Amino acid sequence: MLHSEKRSLFRFLIIYLGSTFILFSVASWLFYISSKHHLLDQQRESLKYEAEHIKSQLRILHQSNAQKLVYPQHKYIKSAIYDLDKVYIFGTFQEDQSLDINKYDNNLYYITKIEPYYLGAAYLLVSRAIVSAPIEKLQKSIFLFMLGAGLFFTILGYFLGKLFVAPMRDAMEQLNHFIQDTTHELNTPISTILTNIEMIETFSEHEEKSRELKRIEIASKTLSRIYDDLTYINLNHKYHRNIVSLNMGILVEERMVYFSAMAEAKSLQVSVDTDPNVILQIDRNDAIRLVDNLISNAIKYNRSKGILHVVLTEKQFSVKDTGIGIRSKDLQTILQRFKRANKSEGGFGIGLDIVNQVVNSYGFVLEVRSKESKGTEVRVKWEK
Amino acid sequence: MGKIVLVLSFLNLFLFADELAITERSFTNTCISCHKQQQIPSSLIYKRYLLKYSTNVRMEEAMFNYLKDPKKEYSIMPEPFFLKFPMKEKVEVDDQTLRKSIRTYLDTYNMKKKLILE
Repeated sequence: MLHSEKRSLFRFLIIYLGSTFILFSVASWLFYISSKHHLLDQQRESLKYEAEHIKSQLRILHQSNAQKLVYPQHKYIKSAIYDLDKVYIFGTFQEDQSLDINKYDNNLYYITKIEPYYLGAAYLLVSRAIVSAPIEKLQKSIFLFMLGAGLFFTILGYFLGKLFVAPMRDAMEQLNHFIQDTTHELNTPISTILTNIEMIETFSEHEEKSRELKRIEIASKTLSRIYDDLTYINLNHKYHRNIVSLNMGILVEERMVYFSAMAEAKSLQVSVDTDPNVILQIDRNDAIRLVDNLISNAIKYNRSKGILHVVLTEKQFSVKDTGIGIRSKDLQTILQRFKRANKSEGGFGIGLDIVNQVVNSYGFVLEVRSKESKGTEVRVKWEK
Repeated sequence: MGKIVLVLSFLNLFLFADELAITERSFTNTCISCHKQQQIPSSLIYKRYLLKYSTNVRMEEAMFNYLKDPKKEYSIMPEPFFLKFPMKEKVEVDDQTLRKSIRTYLDTYNMKKKLILE
C-alpha cells in the first residue's frame, strides 16, 4: 500500500471510527443511565414493600402490653422511626440517623409517613445498600457491546476505506506501470547514446569537445539520471542493498565531475569543500541517488551564473544554491513524491522523495532551508 | 468545708426526692386511683394519645387542655365511650401540679423507652 493511500485510509478510519464511537458512546451512556434507573427503581420497590411490612409490625408492637418491645429487624434493611417533629425515636442504624437523606449516597433510602402514629412514630425511614451486581452486569454488557461494535465497525471501515481509495490506488498503479514501461524502453537507447559519446571522445582527434557534443552529453546524462531515479523508485523494495564502507569524499568529487558539464552549461560558480575522511556504512547506489538528486536539483533550479556550494563534513552533507527557492508553505510538502514546488523546470518531482527515502532508511536527518528568490540549502546530517 | 458540701448535697437530694414523691403522690391520688376504680386502663389511654399526637409535648398539651376543661371534643375517647362512662369532672389542681402529673404519667407509660433490639 502506498504511503498516500495509507494516509488517506488512516484519515478516513479516524473520522469514521471517531464519529461512530462518539455516536455509540452517547447512545450507550443514555441506555446505561436509563437501565440503571430502572434497576434502582426495582430495588426501591422492594424497599417500599419492606417499609409496609415494618409498618404492620409497628402496629402489632403498639398493641402489645409487653414490658419490652422488640423493634422489627430485617436482614440487609436498616430502618428508623421519627415522631411528628422529625425527632429520632428508635432504629437499627449505627447512630441516630437524620431524616434528611439528601446528603447520603451509595444507599437507597425511602421515607414513608405512618398514620396513625404507632409508638408515636410519624415517619419511617428505611434504607438498604444498593445491590451493585446487576449494575456491574449492565456495565459489562455495555462494555462488551462497545467492544464488539468497535471491532465490527473497524473491519467495516477498513473495507469501506479500501473501496474509497481504490480509484486513487488504480491511478497510482497506472502511473507506476507507465514509469516502469518507460524506464524499460529508455534503458537501451540511453546506454547506446552514452557509449557512443564516449567512443567519439576516445577516437576524436580534437582535444576539446564540440558544443553540440557537450549538449548531447548533458542531455544524455540527464536522461540517464532520470532513468536511474525511476528504476530506484520502482525497485526500491525489491532491491538488495550491499552495505559497504564508502568514502563519501571520493564519491562527491566523482559526482561533481559527472555534473560538471551541466554546471558549466549554466555558468555556475561551483565550490566543493569535502572532507576526504568521511566514511559511511551505506549502499553505493543509495549514496549516489542521495548526492545526485541534491546536486542535480541545485543546478536545475539555480539561476544562470549563480553559486553552487557543496560541503561534506564528518557531520553532514550540504548543497546550497542561489536559485528560485521554495515558498514557505511548500516546504512542508516538498518531500512528497510527484510534488514540484516550481514547474518552471522539467522533472517528475521524485528527486527529494528519493532523498527522503534514503535519509529515512539510514536514520539520517534531512533539513531544507529556503527563501523564495534567494536560494535553497539542503542538509543531510549523518547522525540524529 | 467538705462537711458543708456533703450536708448541702444530702439536703438537696432529700428536697428533690421529696418533690418527686409529692408529684407521684399527687399523680396517684389525682389520676390513677380514679382510673382503677372505674376500670379504665391508663395504658390504653396513653396509647390512644400516642396514636394521635406522636410527641410528648403535643400529648401533654392535649391532656392539659382536656383536664382543664373536660369536653367530648377535647377527649381522646370515642363518643360511645361516654354512653357508658360519665364525663370526668374538672381537675381542681393548679396548672403547675397538673402539668407535672401529666409528665409523670407520660413517663410512666412511655412506650418508646420499652423498645429494644434483639
